[in-house]
Amino acid sequence: MFESSIDRIPDVFMKVPLVNFVLLATMLFVIGIVGVLIRKNAIIIFMSIELMLNAVNMLLIAFSSYKSDPNGQIFVFFIMAVAAAEVAVGLAIIVMIFRNIKTIDISILNKLRG
Amino acid sequence: MHFLEIIKNLSLVQWAFYFLSILTLYGALGTILSKNPIHSVIYLVVTFFSISGIYIMLNAQFLAAVNVIVYAGAIMVLFLFVLMFLNLKEESTEMKTSPMLIAAVSTGLLLGLILIATIRKAEITRVNYNDFDPNTGLIETLGMVLYKNYMLPFELVSVLFLVAMSGAILLGKREKGESHF
Amino acid sequence: MYPIIVFSVSGLLMLFLGLSVNKKSLLPYNLLFMLVGLASNFLDWNAPGLYFNGMLEISNPIILVQWVLIFAAILVSGISSRQFDDTHAYPAEYYAIMQFALVGALIMVSFQNLLMLFVGLEILSVGLYVLTGSDKRNLRGNEAAIKYFLMGSFATGIFLFGVAMFYGATGSFDISSGNSVANNLLEGKMFFWLGMVFIFIGLLFKISAAPFHFWTADVYQGAPTVFSAFMATIVKTAVIFALFRLAAYSFNLEYENWSKFLVIIIGLSMVIGNVTAVFQTNFKRVLAFSSISQAGFMLLSLIGLGAQSYGNLGFYSLSYALATISAFGVFLVISSNTIVEGRPSENINVFDGLFSRNPDLAIILLISMLSLAGIPLTSGFWSKFFVLNDAAAKGYFWILILGVLMSAVSLYYYFNPIRASFKKTDLGKIEISSLSKYTLYVCAALTILFGIAPNILRSLF
Repeated sequence: MFESSIDRIPDVFMKVPLVNFVLLATMLFVIGIVGVLIRKNAIIIFMSIELMLNAVNMLLIAFSSYKSDPNGQIFVFFIMAVAAAEVAVGLAIIVMIFRNIKTIDISILNKLRG
Repeated sequence: MHFLEIIKNLSLVQWAFYFLSILTLYGALGTILSKNPIHSVIYLVVTFFSISGIYIMLNAQFLAAVNVIVYAGAIMVLFLFVLMFLNLKEESTEMKTSPMLIAAVSTGLLLGLILIATIRKAEITRVNYNDFDPNTGLIETLGMVLYKNYMLPFELVSVLFLVAMSGAILLGKREKGESHF
Repeated sequence: MYPIIVFSVSGLLMLFLGLSVNKKSLLPYNLLFMLVGLASNFLDWNAPGLYFNGMLEISNPIILVQWVLIFAAILVSGISSRQFDDTHAYPAEYYAIMQFALVGALIMVSFQNLLMLFVGLEILSVGLYVLTGSDKRNLRGNEAAIKYFLMGSFATGIFLFGVAMFYGATGSFDISSGNSVANNLLEGKMFFWLGMVFIFIGLLFKISAAPFHFWTADVYQGAPTVFSAFMATIVKTAVIFALFRLAAYSFNLEYENWSKFLVIIIGLSMVIGNVTAVFQTNFKRVLAFSSISQAGFMLLSLIGLGAQSYGNLGFYSLSYALATISAFGVFLVISSNTIVEGRPSENINVFDGLFSRNPDLAIILLISMLSLAGIPLTSGFWSKFFVLNDAAAKGYFWILILGVLMSAVSLYYYFNPIRASFKKTDLGKIEISSLSKYTLYVCAALTILFGIAPNILRSLF
């Protein structure tokens, strides 16, 4: 019985430990954060946020697969749906700003101050 | 030559994992570092495809397909469309000034180091051989869970889409009159 | 549970009403829908339990908090009267998005599964990104919208990373599953702790507690004033109750670990909020920094985390909502009557001579400022008293002293508009629409009522 269930398990779960996927997702997440902090172009900041969300997706799928629990993958489904909605609104905001000031460099926008 | 021995002994899945990881990180770094936003989008698409490869390795075939369709397909096309619609050249893609840049990068690196050190210390549960289910990521399992247990959030996401739809139209509509401060 | 359904449908109806009804009669419809939602909450009364496969929890205290949220939304709609009827506004969409955002807020106070929290948070946030940028030709509004959007999505990303780690540790998204790792060793809890830290940081971003507050003042200043009021009250209340649920159900066994850090964040919020507010000349920025310090006070009830804390937080939210909405409401009326350089002035000197221009508004402003500062005989005093008492019971005396000290600092900037309103002026009378007038009367009356007899409300929770 023990042998037969091992046969069903794909190779990757035996040879690559879960911690490798977690570390990869964490690196991706940190790259996303650094991207948000160093760029001034609104669209690239936005893309960095997408990177962060993808890191989270990978983390959830890795946990979900190693635990054989579908709930994590359902959550990823929702993150993707929500990300699509967010992209629609975010790009609408960016287009609206571009119409007014002809740039999306957020450092140009500094009308608000104390 | 200990290092070489390790590389020699890597199995096929391990090669695949390291190749996809490096491709993912390369794409991610390219996204945040390239001067031209169009290049960023292309790098991001590379990242999304290699992430999809990792999903397939992780036995999540359905989400791998959805990832390609939604992220690499719909979302990135939307990004590319807006970039081309706005006709952005390279002029506005400068990074922040250097003191800010150094501060941001060191904050990020510090955070990354702390996270990685913490995760390496963490005790990771191994795959449970007895109740491992290779069908977890298949559309049948996911569909059953989604429409049985997660019915309410599934319906509520439609409210979110309504907000996003009416909001995007509201903001996208061209307005007469001058802009003001 | 019922108001969620009511507002999902009524928001859709509102969008269609925008096609057929003229702009001025949309507000009565909006108020009608909100009252229906308020009433439909009665159907859940005394039917506690988990609904929809453990997605939502309904209990009487939760219903009371949902009432607070809907009531605050009604008051915000009340002060919005006559604000949207110029040719460039789309009130049907604004009200529809407000109702949808309310759906998100209602979910956030009753979720049982982290997925529901995420969906609720996103409905609320996406709605507000749109509302912040709704004045499309105003560059300040544009800037506020992009800042709010980028910071909000960034915070969501951090929050989600925490959720993923939480899932990695516990194998479930149910909020009570946090207890399953309670007996693990240090190594087994690493993921759980990472999850806890990132979830807290993500949500603290959303309620703008210091040091995650840097976007707040710009966004509050740039957003249209009605929506700043919405943000200051409903978003803050919803997120703080979400935090409270997490602290009470998921992370209660780790109380010793997170309370030490949270108390530092509370101290920072109080100091930064109150001290920075002193130097502001724009009234919306004053209220923004005041909201940062109020967030610090609200977080004190998480430190308390006793049997009374939920009620304390509910009382605080309601009294804060009443005072803030009346402050924004008075400001909205006056600022739209004081046009400087083609747009409504937001400087604190718009209040000059308010008492001779419209004594009622001056008195309402006085009551609201006294309540925000926490002067006795207003509900603000009792709300601060309850949360500080709660924290002191846990042994955090220094935060009590800091809280009282910072309230004293806050007196300075809360008294600025009051002082201005008693100046002499030769400006004419201020007209005010009857709906916003009655809304403001209700706010002021309830502030005094709960200040004199707080037990009316306390006995409910």
